Order: sequence, then structure tokens, then C-alpha cells
Amino acid sequence: MASTDTTDDILKARQAYNETLTAAQDKRRATWFPLLLLALLAALPALQFAGNYNYLLHLVLYTLCYVVMASGWNILGGYAGYISLGHNVFFAVGGYFAGMMFARLGISTIILAPLAGLVAGLLGYMIGLITLRVRGPSFIISSLALVMIVRIGFENWHFVGGAAGVSLPANGLPVQWAKLPYYYAFLVMAAVALWASYRIRHSKFGLGLRAISKDEVKAESAGIDTRFYKVLAFAISAFFVGMAGAVWGEYLTYIRPNIFLVILISVNMVLMCILGGKGTVAGPALGAVLIVAFNEFFVATLGASAINILATGLIMALALMFFPLGIVGTLARHRKLPRFLNWD
Amino acid sequence: MLDVRNLCKYFGGIRAVDGCTFTVNRGEITALIGPNGAGKTTAFNCISRTMQPTRGEVWLDGARIDRLRPHQITRRGLSRTFQISRNLADMTVLENVICQSRTRGWRDLFRPAMSAEEIDKAMGILDFLGITRIAHEDGSNLSFGQKKLMDLAALLMSDPKIILLDEPAGGVNPTLLEQIVGHIRELNAKGMTVLIVEHNMELIMRLSHRVVVMAQGRVIADGTPDQVRRDPAVLDAYLGGVLEDAA
Repeated sequence: MASTDTTDDILKARQAYNETLTAAQDKRRATWFPLLLLALLAALPALQFAGNYNYLLHLVLYTLCYVVMASGWNILGGYAGYISLGHNVFFAVGGYFAGMMFARLGISTIILAPLAGLVAGLLGYMIGLITLRVRGPSFIISSLALVMIVRIGFENWHFVGGAAGVSLPANGLPVQWAKLPYYYAFLVMAAVALWASYRIRHSKFGLGLRAISKDEVKAESAGIDTRFYKVLAFAISAFFVGMAGAVWGEYLTYIRPNIFLVILISVNMVLMCILGGKGTVAGPALGAVLIVAFNEFFVATLGASAINILATGLIMALALMFFPLGIVGTLARHRKLPRFLNWD
Repeated sequence: MLDVRNLCKYFGGIRAVDGCTFTVNRGEITALIGPNGAGKTTAFNCISRTMQPTRGEVWLDGARIDRLRPHQITRRGLSRTFQISRNLADMTVLENVICQSRTRGWRDLFRPAMSAEEIDKAMGILDFLGITRIAHEDGSNLSFGQKKLMDLAALLMSDPKIILLDEPAGGVNPTLLEQIVGHIRELNAKGMTVLIVEHNMELIMRLSHRVVVMAQGRVIADGTPDQVRRDPAVLDAYLGGVLEDAA
């Protein structure tokens, strides 16, 4: 700033700066973009009339599943700052609950999904009451311990088939349309998860969670019931992960501990949030798209060996060197976030 | 109004606060002073329940508050600032301030974070403190003094009956110090009860109606600034120096 010689100039510069700050505050959201995306994805299965696009549909469905889970995880891990590596437990609980109901009573998991989410959320609430007393590394380790306990539990529970699991009946639709019910279920869930994430971020609750992630002592002394906020965040995030699990089980026509309770699933959720931008609305969705895309690309080009995992890891490392707050977070910090990605 | 009875806080064998008893009267500015390590901040933390007292009772307006959790104490009308300003980085000053406004019940949780009334009220407070121009600034970009003012603003957002200020003047330049003193006076004139921990003796003597002196975890003197200044026990605790300079 060469021209800040006199007080007037300084004041003017100051005022201009303040105006940019105010402008950044009430930047209008690009609501049209997520809605357009939703419309496009809803129309995508029409491709099946033109040929066999099952692989593409599977990829989109798989990505949407992760959008639901990563957005759910983000409510606890991103907004409240509690990194959980145990969220696949709720994926399993949702999957098993709905899967068993489906196997025994024949009610579709798509209808059961909200109920399965509630069961997972209730479990999350109870687990949160215990594990959310500690934070930082202790909390991460407690979440890992949870995965191990639940996995041993499921592997030895004969009612749900133990380690061998239970196979579920496939739906009777022709192969061309067989994926569609699940595709639309995940699309709706992803939309709901993102909408909920947006609503929470802009609510008192979200403000409280952000305060907790920055300084819990200060948040508590500001009059926020930190324990209740944290546990509620845990329950809500478990709800979304549980819903995703419910439909995922029927989609695979199989529920088995080593489908749900592998650490890779929770690691994926965490990586997607971190890559896309923890604590933002668009971040988890963007992260899910990128990580699924990277994985598929490297599996296709490098083969399904360990090398594709290495390549994905390398991309992650590079991305985080240049985008330490995640892609959305870092761009927003530098005020360079394109309008269509500003879902906050 | 605030009644501290036989408050004790032990860290292992160290008796940081050891039977501290004093009261804060409504509408007064009471100062808590003492040499380093006297237990002032620990007493503060025990009153606001940031720490759990080992023993003793704290009463606010006839209700016992030492068993409550910190947010409940805040909701009862006792708010505090921290010695080293604890602000919420990555949130704007406005958000920092509004964070401290009250929420009631379930429905309140999911309403918009910043209602128009809350923004008005927060801007009113920022205006009172003369810092409206930093309202949209990120909390982490502020200077040390601005953070102190922001803390004060956040404090007022919760409509407290009594405010506890932990070294509001620590590390603040003289101009800003005068401003802060002015704000505290003005608040007090409107009926706010203030309990303040401070090292700046000159400020304490000027500002407070009553001074409570602590040393080694106990209250050794309690009275008007003039009485305390002449108290031999106080002079002894400070080894003479500081108080005479201030006088």
C-alpha cells in the first residue's frame, strides 16, 4: 500500500477493507448449483435406455453413499472437531438392523432406512455419553476401540450369521433396472444429508459446535451445554451413517462384518472430509467425488494392486500440502471459492 | 450477592486456595488482589466452575452454584473473561459475541444462528465498546487489546448480573486501558456488579469500591482501598513496595 501516507488514506483503506469483509459476509449462495446437480443425477438413469451404463450408475451410487456418510461424519468431526475413526460401527448397525428386518419380515431397507438411522443414532447417543468425555487422541483411540469391540461382537453373534454373515434376497427387477431403487434412495439421502448439514451449520446448534471445536472451555463458559451439544452431534452423525448402511446392505445383497466393519470405510469418510474441507457443507461431497474418482482411475490404470492405494495416498498428500484446510476450506479462506461451491 | 465461603482448591499437596471467604455486594466493583501465586485466578476458576473446588461453597443470590456446570452458572447470570483471552478463531467477532447469547430449549437449537434481534443487540454492544468496525473481522486477526474488548462484548451478550474480569488490563496499552476502565465504570453505573482480578494497583485503587487481598490462598484483608492500603498484613504480603508506589 503505497498511498497510505495520510490519516485519510489509511482510514479510506480501512473502510474499503471493512467493506470487503461485509461483502464476504452476505455473499449470496449459489443454490441453483446443488439443485441442478440433483436434477441431473435424478435424470441420469435415463441413460439405461441408450445402453448399459450399470457401471456408471454403480459409481454414482457408491459416491452418493459416501456423500451421505461423509456429511454425517462432518457434523461431529468437522463442526464439533471430534475426529472419530469408528463411524463404520453405525454403518454396520444400520446395515444389520435393516438387513435382518428385511431378511425376516421382507420390508425393504429403503423404507426401513430412517428407522435404522434412528437405531444407529440412539446407539451413537449412548456411546457419545461415554466416549465424548475425552477429546483429541484419546477420543480417536476410543473410537477405534469401539470398532474392534463391535466387530468381535458381530463375528460371534450367531443370530446375525457370525463372521459368515447373512445373504439377502436380490430384488426381482431386470438387471438393467435393478440398481435404480437404491440409486434413488441414496440420491434422496444425500440431498437430505446435505440439507441437514446446511441447516445445522446455520443454526444455534452449529454455532455452538463450532465454538466447541475451537475452545471447549470457552464455549462452556459462554453458556453452551457442551456435553449435550457434543452427544447430540454424535447422534445426528450416526443417524446419517446408519441410514446409508441400511440401504448399502440390501444393495450388496449381503451383510457381513468384513463389509461394514473394515477400518477403510471410516478412514475414507475422514479423508473425504479432510480433502474436501472439514466443517464446510460442500467439502464432504466434493471429497467423496474426488476420492472415489481417484480410486477408480488408479485401479483402472495401475491395476487392483497396492500401487493404486499408494497413488491415491500420494494425491492426498499433495492436495493437503496446497490445501491444508481442505479444498473448499482453503479456497474460502483466500476468498477464491467459486460461487457454485459455496454451499455454506 | 456473590458469597464465597471457605473455598478450597488443592493440587496434590499444593493448597492454591485454602479457605477463601469473601462476599461481593450488589452494584459494587470489588477487586481481588494479591501477590503472584496468591490463588486469585484459581479462586476465580472455582467460582465460575472452570475448575472444581476441593471444598467450600459459592452462593449467588441465595442459591448455591458450586455444584452446577459452567454453562448453568453463566445462565444464572455470572459471566467471566479469561486472563489470556480465549477467543474462537475462524469465527468473526460478531459470531464470537453472538455465541454467548442465550438459547432456551430444543426449538431454539435449530433456529438460525444469528437472528436479526441478536445481531442488533450484538452490534449495540460492539458500538458501546467502540469496536463496530471489526465486527466482521476474523477473531484470530485481532490485536491483543481488541481481543480483550471482544471478550467484554461477548460477556455482555449473555445479560449477566455479575461479571468476573480476569486481568482486563493485562498487557494492554495505556490508551486502551483508559477505555476499558471507562467501560467498566459505565457498566457499573448502570448497576452491573463487577469482580475483578488485576495486577495494576493504581487501576485497582482508582476503580474499585472494595478490595479483597489474598495471599497464600487466604483472604488477609478486606475493605475500602484506603483501609487496605494501610493494613500492615497487606504491606507485609507485598513486602512494602507496590502499594506505597501506587499511593
